[in-house]
Amino acid sequence: MLRQDCSNLLSAEFPAAIHNYRRPQKIDKKFVGESVLATGSFDASAGIWRRWEEGGGKGKPAAEIDFTGGLAGGDAEAEEEEDEEWRFAVILDGHDSEIKSLAFSPTSPLLGTCSRDKSVWIWEELEDDNFETVAVLQDHEGDVKCVAWHPGEELLASASYDDNVRLWREDVDDWACCALLTGHKGTVWWVEFEGADRIGMLGTSDEVSEEQKAVLELREKAGPRLLSCSDDHTIRVWRRIPKERREMPTGQGSLPSIWKNNNFEEQWIEEARLPQVHERPVYALNWSKKTGRVASTGSDGKIVVYEERWKSGATDKKEPNGDVTMEDGTPTTVAVTEPIPTSAKDGSGTLTEWVAVAEVENAHDVFEVNHVCWATRADKGKRFDDEEVLISTGDDGEVKVWTFDT
Amino acid sequence: MDADKDNANPTIINPSDLPSRPPAYPSLADPFSSAEASSASSESDDEERREEIDEQEVYDLISTISDPEHPLSLGSLGVAKLDDISIQRPTSPRSRISTVTVLLTPTTSACSLTTVIGLGVKVRLLQALPPRFRVDVRIKEGTSNTADEVNKQLGDKERVAAAMENRNLINVVNTMLATCE
Repeated sequence: MLRQDCSNLLSAEFPAAIHNYRRPQKIDKKFVGESVLATGSFDASAGIWRRWEEGGGKGKPAAEIDFTGGLAGGDAEAEEEEDEEWRFAVILDGHDSEIKSLAFSPTSPLLGTCSRDKSVWIWEELEDDNFETVAVLQDHEGDVKCVAWHPGEELLASASYDDNVRLWREDVDDWACCALLTGHKGTVWWVEFEGADRIGMLGTSDEVSEEQKAVLELREKAGPRLLSCSDDHTIRVWRRIPKERREMPTGQGSLPSIWKNNNFEEQWIEEARLPQVHERPVYALNWSKKTGRVASTGSDGKIVVYEERWKSGATDKKEPNGDVTMEDGTPTTVAVTEPIPTSAKDGSGTLTEWVAVAEVENAHDVFEVNHVCWATRADKGKRFDDEEVLISTGDDGEVKVWTFDT
Repeated sequence: MDADKDNANPTIINPSDLPSRPPAYPSLADPFSSAEASSASSESDDEERREEIDEQEVYDLISTISDPEHPLSLGSLGVAKLDDISIQRPTSPRSRISTVTVLLTPTTSACSLTTVIGLGVKVRLLQALPPRFRVDVRIKEGTSNTADEVNKQLGDKERVAAAMENRNLINVVNTMLATCE
């Protein structure tokens, strides 16, 4: 159940960038002793902003800055500081039209940006305020709506108006597309990776069967999954096929790979689809790093929360995938072949199911909702450690905070 | 000069043949109803009336838009047709969102101004209808060879917003909408 929490509105109004005549479209934060904020603007430029944090040495995460001026019960000293201003640092010029999304890499000093000009740019911060263009990636055939980094690898995902998701990595010296995820029947509005700390884990996983354990191991090996949502009203889960599983006996149906670097290209499959609750384009989603719950929102004004669960009765399943027992009892070593999956029929997707566990209609009155994300609850009303709230923004110009009850 | 136009000789519909609402029943206040009663129910009446936006009303909003090429209205050119307007009411009792779908018929299948006409219709409806209406403007199937592309652009709120920042497009759309009341 989702309930709007009116008492503690964490309205983080960042300064409108001085070079803009528009509100920044997307913001992203990272914390490196000082807070750094990147803003992508309608005027095709990105801005980098900095702010020294009170008590930054203590490693206070940027996400816990008290924007309510102490109302939320944060420490009162902070508001006396005059240096709390965000300082404009540098403009990144290069894109031809408005920047749709940008993201700092969690593992390296890289920034990814994307634009209506169909390109994805990767910038490297060489030293303070000196950003160099590392790559201009132009494989998409339409506006690039969103970029997101893998939590543990230098791997960038992008979502586009051309209905596709692309994954990008550095190959020797050049960045290039290492995977193309096709399937959506409309603009892909948002992509996001699963958190690195709980890959494929389900809410309650106290006792798992052998079969379920195999799924968890497979997921661990594959790494964080990817979520995408689209104009086609669907939300899809994608998973990488771990490399060594793709090795085939030589000469047996394997395509000649003279021009392809097999170590570079990755194969990703659609593992599952979330229950289709939305009736109009899905604009945004967020995958909680703490609970694994997914929240989504879009044009129909709904906010929906989903959970992944083990299918009941899955443990009784008699025929595990890819495991064959010969009649003579000889144990066969069919090494869990993943049969060049065109769909997700390989256990990982079939033993679990996604369930919609909460839904709010008219979340922002009759307006479209553009963004939703989980945030650690930090106000006085916090009910338990690590409680998360949902924050949403709508075309009504409001920012709303929602509490979630199971 | 007309040679520059995609369709120099469009078919024009006689104004008297255009769909319009039949004259309403005499709406003089019922002389027997008391003033108190009418004021008490006025609020719910308003609510009811808001829901009463129908296809004809949507048609009236867009049929008077001028074609960017000809000094004629979209209604008289048959670009906007009453039969190609539909309204989907809220899908659940709790939802308050209705959807208006308008299918446009370009005057020729190669009309390069199809996107602009669609944009004009979309902007007109976004401005004129209450925010609880979602507006889907599409090109009628089989009437334009760029329909898919145009439909996708008109369905993308960011694309529409960006288009309305373009001075040339704003001028064209404003000219088209100038003939609307």
